[in-house]
Amino acid sequence: MRGRVLLIRLGQMVLVVLAVVTIAFLVLRFATGDPARLVNPPGTPEDIIAQTRERIGTDKPVFVQYGEYLYNAVQGDLGTSFRGAQPVASAVLTALPNTLALAGITIVASAGLAIVLGAVAAWRPGSIFDRAVLVWVALAQATPAFWLAVLLVLVFALNLRWFPAIDMNGWRSFVLPVTTLVVTLSPVLIRTARQSFIETLREDYIKAARARGLPSWRVFAVHGVKAASLPLVTLIGLQLGFLLAGAVVVEVIFNWPGIGKLILDSLASRDFPMIQGGILVAAVVFVVLNFVVDMLYAVLDPRVGAARA
Amino acid sequence: MSDALAAVEHAAPSQTAASRVGGRILRSPLLLVGLVGTTLIVAAAIFAPLLAPADPTAQDLANILAPPVWAGGTVDNVLGTDVLGRDVASRLLYGARNSLFVAFSAMLLGSSLGLITGLLAGFFGGRVDSILMRLGDVQLAFPFILLAIAILGVVASRPAWLLIAVLGIPGWIVYARVVRSRVLAEKEKDYVAAATALGAGPWRRLFRYVFPSVWQVVPVIALLDVGFLIIMESTLSFLGLGLAPPAATWGGILADGRRNMVVSQWLPILPGLAILVTVLSINLVGDGLAAVFDSRNVGGGFRRLRPKAPAAPSSEPGAGSLLAVRDLRVEFPTSGGRVKAVRGIDFELAPGETLGVVGESGSGKSVTAAAVIQLLEPPGRITEGAVFYDGEDLARTSDRRMASLRGQEIAMIFQNPAVSLNPVLTIGFQLREAIRHVTKASRRTARDTAREVLMAVGIEDPDRISRQYPFQLSGGMNQRVMIAMVLAARPRLLLADEPTTALDTTTQAQILDRLVKLTEAENISLVLITHDIALVSEYADRMLVLYAGEVCEYGPVREIISRPRHPYTRALLESVPRVEDPADRLQVIAGDLPDPSEDRVGCPFADRCPLVMEVCREAAPPRYKVGPVHTAACYLWAPERAEAVAT
Repeated sequence: MRGRVLLIRLGQMVLVVLAVVTIAFLVLRFATGDPARLVNPPGTPEDIIAQTRERIGTDKPVFVQYGEYLYNAVQGDLGTSFRGAQPVASAVLTALPNTLALAGITIVASAGLAIVLGAVAAWRPGSIFDRAVLVWVALAQATPAFWLAVLLVLVFALNLRWFPAIDMNGWRSFVLPVTTLVVTLSPVLIRTARQSFIETLREDYIKAARARGLPSWRVFAVHGVKAASLPLVTLIGLQLGFLLAGAVVVEVIFNWPGIGKLILDSLASRDFPMIQGGILVAAVVFVVLNFVVDMLYAVLDPRVGAARA
Repeated sequence: MSDALAAVEHAAPSQTAASRVGGRILRSPLLLVGLVGTTLIVAAAIFAPLLAPADPTAQDLANILAPPVWAGGTVDNVLGTDVLGRDVASRLLYGARNSLFVAFSAMLLGSSLGLITGLLAGFFGGRVDSILMRLGDVQLAFPFILLAIAILGVVASRPAWLLIAVLGIPGWIVYARVVRSRVLAEKEKDYVAAATALGAGPWRRLFRYVFPSVWQVVPVIALLDVGFLIIMESTLSFLGLGLAPPAATWGGILADGRRNMVVSQWLPILPGLAILVTVLSINLVGDGLAAVFDSRNVGGGFRRLRPKAPAAPSSEPGAGSLLAVRDLRVEFPTSGGRVKAVRGIDFELAPGETLGVVGESGSGKSVTAAAVIQLLEPPGRITEGAVFYDGEDLARTSDRRMASLRGQEIAMIFQNPAVSLNPVLTIGFQLREAIRHVTKASRRTARDTAREVLMAVGIEDPDRISRQYPFQLSGGMNQRVMIAMVLAARPRLLLADEPTTALDTTTQAQILDRLVKLTEAENISLVLITHDIALVSEYADRMLVLYAGEVCEYGPVREIISRPRHPYTRALLESVPRVEDPADRLQVIAGDLPDPSEDRVGCPFADRCPLVMEVCREAAPPRYKVGPVHTAACYLWAPERAEAVAT
C-alpha cells in the first residue's frame, strides 16, 4: 500500500513538472516572435538569421523541438545558451545551491521564529506580548520584500557599512537577504503558530497532562509544540511559491547568483534555453520541497504515517 | 406554499445580528483606523486626476531628482521629482490608481471563480466536488509565480488584462475551499432541509437559501487577498514586469528610486511607505471584520485566575473530610454575557469515600471537577466560595503548590480517553513521563513500574502497548492506560469525569469495576461524575444531584435511591431503563435548561417540574434538611409543608 501511494505521489510530481515545462515552452515559442530575430540586432540580413535559426534549432517544427527538448532533458542535457556556448545544465546547477541555501536558511529561521513568537503569544492570549506579536505580524505582512531589501541596503550597507550590499561572499552577505525573506515569510507562519498553539492548549490531552502535575513548561514544550507545529508544516508547503517569488526579488536586489536572477537576466536577453532550464529546475525544487514537507508531516504525526503505511 | 417558504426564509440567519455587528465595529479602534485609511486611499486612487498637482508623465529634465519639500525641495514638487523630472506626488497618486485597479480586478476574478466553484463543489458534492478539489490540490503544488514571471517577461506587450489574469486566477482555490466548507455546513441546516421538503429545487435551494448565508465569508478573504495582490503587483512592477511604462506604478517608482538611491534616498522610501500604509489599512479592516464575525471569546493559555475576594469567613474546611467544597461559584465571561456555570455548590468527601455527581450536560458537573483541580479554562474563574483539600483552600493557593498537588495527591480521569492522551506521543512515553514526574524514579525504574501498572489494569502485553500511539488502541484500552497512570501515582483524591461514557457497555462495567477496586484498595477518595444515575447508585456512597449549576439534592445514595425527595431526582431515576419493563423506557423530561448567562429568580427546575407551585417562581428554594446528612432544594420539603406531603 505504502509503495503504491508513493508511486502515485511521484507520478503527480512528474506531471506537475512536465506541465510547467510544457506551458513555459509553449509560451516562449508562441507568445514572442522568432527567437532567431530576437537574439540578433535589428536589420540583420536574412541569411544570417536563417543561420542562427539552424544553429539554435528553431528551424524544425515546434513539436519536434519540444520532443527533442524533453528527450535531451531527461538525459540531463538542457541545451546551450543562446549567448555564448555555455551548457544550460551546468549554469543552472551552479546557481541552484545558492538559491537553496537562501531558501533553506529562511525556512528554518522563519519556522523557528514562528514557533517561539507563536508560543509566547499563545501562552497568554490578549496579553501585552500577544498584542505586540500581532502588531508585528500586521506590519510585516504589509511590508513588500523589495522595499525592505532596499531599506536594509540603504541603512546597513550604504550608511552603517555593516554588511555587504550585493554579491554572495561569506556569511555576512547572507544577513540582509535572509532577513528580508524571513520578514516576508514569517508573518503568516507566526499567525498560524499562535492560533495552533491556542487551539492545542485547549485540547483535553493538554489538560490531562497538566492534571498529572507535569510542569507548565514541560506540557508546553513536550506535549504542545509537536502537535501545534503540524499546521505549520502544511503551511510552509503552501508558502513555497510565495517564498520563490521573494527569492527572485531578493536575488535581483542583492545580485545573488541564484536561479531567480538567472531567469530574470535571461528574460532580459531573450535567452530561451536558459529561461526554460531555470524554470525546469525551479519547478523540480518546488515539487521536491513540497514532497519533503508532506513526508515530514507523516513523520511528525503518527496518525498520518500509519494511514499511509 | 409561498407563505411557508417565506417563513423558512425568516429562519435563515438574517439581519438580526446586524446591529450587534455594527456596535462591535465601533468598539474596535484598529478596525476604525483601517476603515479610515482604506477609504482615504481608495478616494485618492479614484480622484487621482483631480488631486494630482501635475501630469504624472510630464518630464522636466531641468529639474531631476529634486528632494521633497522637508529635505529642501520646493512646494511645486512636494515629494520631489524623479530621474526624468516627473512629479513624485502625482506619480504616487496615479500609482495608487493603477495598483488598486489591478489588485481589485484580480481579486474580483479570483473570488468569482472561487465562489462559483466552491458553491458547485459543496452543493452538488460527489464527482463535481472531487474533480474541483483535486484540481485545487494540483494548483497548490504548482509554482505559478514562475510561469507568471516567464509569461510577463517574454510577451511583446503587457496589457492590464494579462496582468490581472495572471495575478487573479491562481487565487480561486482559497475562496473555493472556504466557500465549499461553508456550503457543506449550511446545506445540512434545518431551514434548507425544510425548503427541500416544501419542494424547492436544487438551484433554488442553492441561490435562495445557501448562497445568502455563505457569501458573507467572501469579503473578509477578499480584503486580505487585495492586500496580498497589491504587494504581488508591486513586486512584478519592481521587476519591470508590471504595467508598461510610462504608466506610474508603485513598484516601478521604487525600482527607479533604487537606481538613484545614493543621490536621492527619499525616492525609494516613499512608494514603499505608500504600499505599507495601503496594505496595512486593508489588512486591519480584513482582520477586524474577521474578528467581528467570529465572536469566539479570546481565552485559553495557561493562566489560572484566582478568586478576587477572600473566602467567606463562615466557610470552614469540614473536620474529618478530605475534600470540602463551600458555596462554589464559577463564571465564564463571554461576548454574550457572563455564563454562570456553577452557582453555589456545597459537598464533602471523606477519605476513601465515593461521591457520585449526577446531572445532564450543562449542569455544571464537569466545571466543578475542573474547579477542584484548578484547571478551569481562562477566562473562566472561581468567583466565590472555597475548595478545601485537607484543610487547604485550593482556590486561593499558589500555582506552585497546586502543581505539586496535581498528579501526586489529586488525579483526574477524563471523559474521552482517546483525546486525553496526546495523539503524537506513544503510550509508553506518556506513562513513563507521568511516573517519573511523580516518583522521581530513574528511566529504568520508570520502565519497570510502567510494565507493572499496565499489567495491574489487565493489559497482558505491556511492552507492545507501550510502543503504540493512542489512536492505535481501543477506547477501553486507552482508559485502562489512564487508570494505570493513576495507579502509578497513588493519589488521595481521584476525579473521574464521565470515565466510561465513551465506551461500550461491556467495557464500561469492566473499567468501572477496576476503577472502584483500585480506589478501595488504595483508600482513594473518588468523585465519580456521570449523567447515569444508575452507575452512581451502584458504586457511590454519597450522591450530589446538580441542575443548571445548582444543587437539587445531596445525601447518602441508599436514602436517595429508595426515597428521592427532589422532583428532578425522581425524574432522573424514572428515566433509567428498567430490565423488567423494557417498554417503559426513558421517560425523557420535557423542556430545556434555563439560560446559563441569566440571573434567576426562583427554582431553576420550575419550568420543567410536574409539581411546580407559585412560590417556586418567586424565590429560590433553600436546601431543606430531610435527613441527618440529606438535603433537598425544593419547597415540597419546607417544614410547614413537609408533614402534608409525607402523609
